[in-house]
Amino acid sequence: MKKYFILFSFSFAVLSACHKASDTGGATTDFATLEDQVITDFTNDIVLSQYSGLLSASLTLQSSVGSLTTITNETNQAKAKTDWKNMRSIWEQTEGFLLGPVESNDYDPNTDTWPTDYTQMDSLLANNDFEFTTNNVKNLSQSLRGYHPLEYMIWGKGGSKTPADFTARQKQYMVALIDDISSNNVQQLYNDWFGAADYKSQVLNAGKGSTEFSSRKALFLNMVSAMSDICGEVAGGKMKEPYDAYDSTITESPYSSNTLIDFKNNIIGLQNVYMGLNGGKGLHDLVAAKQSALDQQIQTKISAALISFNQITERYEQAIYSQRIQVKNTMDLLDDVNDLLENDLTDFINTNIKD
Amino acid sequence: MKKFFIVATIGLLVIGLSRCHKAELTPVSGYDDRYSGGKATVFDESSHALTHSIDGMGERDQRVHELGDQAFESKFVAPPAPVFGGLGSIFNNVSCINCHRNDGGGFPSAGSATSGLLMRISQAGQDPHGGPMAIDGYGTQLQDQSVYGFQAEVSISISYTETPFNYPDGHTVSLRSPTYTLQNPYIPFGVPYMLSPRLAPPVIGAGLLDDIPESTILGFVDEGDQNGDGISGKANLVFDPESGQTRVGRFGLKSNTSSLLVQVATAYQQDMGITSYVQPNESSHGQNQWPSSTDTGKPELADSTLNFTTFYVRTLAVPARRNVNDPEVRAGSILFNQINCSGCHRPTVMTGPDFTVPQLSGQRIHPYTDLLLHDMGDGLADDRPDFLATGKEWRTQALWGLGLLQRTTGTAFYLHDGRARTIEEAILWHGGEATKSKQAFTELSLTERNQLMKFLNSL
Repeated sequence: MKKYFILFSFSFAVLSACHKASDTGGATTDFATLEDQVITDFTNDIVLSQYSGLLSASLTLQSSVGSLTTITNETNQAKAKTDWKNMRSIWEQTEGFLLGPVESNDYDPNTDTWPTDYTQMDSLLANNDFEFTTNNVKNLSQSLRGYHPLEYMIWGKGGSKTPADFTARQKQYMVALIDDISSNNVQQLYNDWFGAADYKSQVLNAGKGSTEFSSRKALFLNMVSAMSDICGEVAGGKMKEPYDAYDSTITESPYSSNTLIDFKNNIIGLQNVYMGLNGGKGLHDLVAAKQSALDQQIQTKISAALISFNQITERYEQAIYSQRIQVKNTMDLLDDVNDLLENDLTDFINTNIKD
Repeated sequence: MKKFFIVATIGLLVIGLSRCHKAELTPVSGYDDRYSGGKATVFDESSHALTHSIDGMGERDQRVHELGDQAFESKFVAPPAPVFGGLGSIFNNVSCINCHRNDGGGFPSAGSATSGLLMRISQAGQDPHGGPMAIDGYGTQLQDQSVYGFQAEVSISISYTETPFNYPDGHTVSLRSPTYTLQNPYIPFGVPYMLSPRLAPPVIGAGLLDDIPESTILGFVDEGDQNGDGISGKANLVFDPESGQTRVGRFGLKSNTSSLLVQVATAYQQDMGITSYVQPNESSHGQNQWPSSTDTGKPELADSTLNFTTFYVRTLAVPARRNVNDPEVRAGSILFNQINCSGCHRPTVMTGPDFTVPQLSGQRIHPYTDLLLHDMGDGLADDRPDFLATGKEWRTQALWGLGLLQRTTGTAFYLHDGRARTIEEAILWHGGEATKSKQAFTELSLTERNQLMKFLNSL
């Protein structure tokens, strides 16, 4: 009889050995609720908040460009510079989630194309037959639209422009440029998400009838790949190219010397998606619920990369010559972040998000 | 008793451990159907699904791929410029990515930053290499944009006529056929001309297609339709400007280009107006608006950049299939073979040896193309020959990544000119050698047609 007992115990052990450690029913529900919460908070606390912030920043910049072109003095130029940088900082943060309309409707290349095209810009400015209306600027090549031509107009090469340098044609161009950014792009981008086109619902209904995201997993993976893309682009492209080439002319925002801040804001943008913003939940909450060690690791690496930017004390255009060790250090740390995103976090989503 | 105990123990062990056996992922063939690109497959179904490098490359190759990625995305600007100069003076677009959106396809519009359609042009006759005969002042491609201060060769207006298609079961689909009108030519054409619209196709898996041996492609030819399935297939033989030899064509919508390097270099030259060591002359060469100031005899594109971009395209991974075990998808896959779509869209091909990128070497891949030319009927004909391709023939388009195009491109368009707005419309446009299969498709029940769609969307 004892044998039977052993046999039973043994068979139970074998049969149950394969039973995967699974959460209780309650916990599974909680995790699904958490997934929903992360999606809702991503939409409202990050996308809505950042895109409406971008919209209001663009209107502020529009107004200060208006002032600068009406009364061209140092105060107004300084104000336009500040407002350009403010708008830029929000925009660069939104690059932490380059997915959906910003990508499919070309708002990114329409406003953030680089390099600026000096030759064509000079031809345009020299040709009085070309009228700088918003619509005409909209129809120009992307390298003649958006943030960087406007940056060039406000700062000038090397950031040396003074109020006396502004020509009438340049002023007309500036007014049309900011209007094109604001009304043809930022406003549209906002409408695409939260207006009639309603991309918001595509995200909120991921896995529940969304044609864009057949599952919540697909949405989370897209969020992670967008984070990883921007991380890779900063480390492997925007920072590395001028660094490798010892060439400060190929940095991102060379006129305003805002390049380093641009980079940092990109990384803050991906950190926002991971951590959540404005008290909302982020991807980190999902990871923490199942693999707190991985969550800690990702948080630590992102923070380390962000803090390392502070060791680059020169503007980036200078740092690639004089602070190469610090620049290299930041690029390496960003590579570490990207490894975690591309591999560990992606695996985590694939393994743990079931629907 | 003891025997019983042992037998029972073993029995229970077997039963118990067999519970560990995971649901079957691989079909009876023993291969995992998800790996469309063999080792060069990547798992991502997001809007970035087509943008990944193949896995496991060495650090140096990965870096070259990244540099190529940057070059692929770089917007070129008018010369003289410190970086990315050389655009134009006439061009179709300013970067690779503007047409190949997210490395996927383009939009069927012409003349704007988001346009992915270009127009080839030629007159009757052949050039000395057997290719299309250029038109003086225009060459073989119309550049419909220009750097400020220069004049585009022409502007292209596109309009569509909708025609209903009725299935035998009463279901109706509207098909649109394009009409192209050339406006504002910068000089008269002088001779009768033939036009051929070409929509930018997805660029994934190009390295794998490049590695299919010529003998394999030639082996698919069924000249005179010996097997009687209505499908013959023909290889294009084209002039290769790099080697100066005639080779089997495999790239371009009429298999009109033999190698990836030439494809990339010609796109830089014709589509963007950027010269390179492979294509050293401006697309506007010989035209009176050709700025001789830019004629320094030095290519505008560094050799290394051309090679980076070529390597980038070569090492772009193919996205894995999704939902391969969905019964509907499996049923669709069987229908695909039954109605002989697979006669041209060959599901499985082997690549040859590749000593530079092992992930491309000897791979069992699922491109769904034979890389051959087929008569596609009058509906799709452009009536413009291109080397051996007649005005009715087009190359079988690879179908890998098909189900992801909508997401990667933003809005997907299909066929050589983007007239089809859905995969279903694309199927219904098939004619010529594909008539039998198209006919069979229309006679399927709605359920079966949906199964086939599910299968195609899983690619």
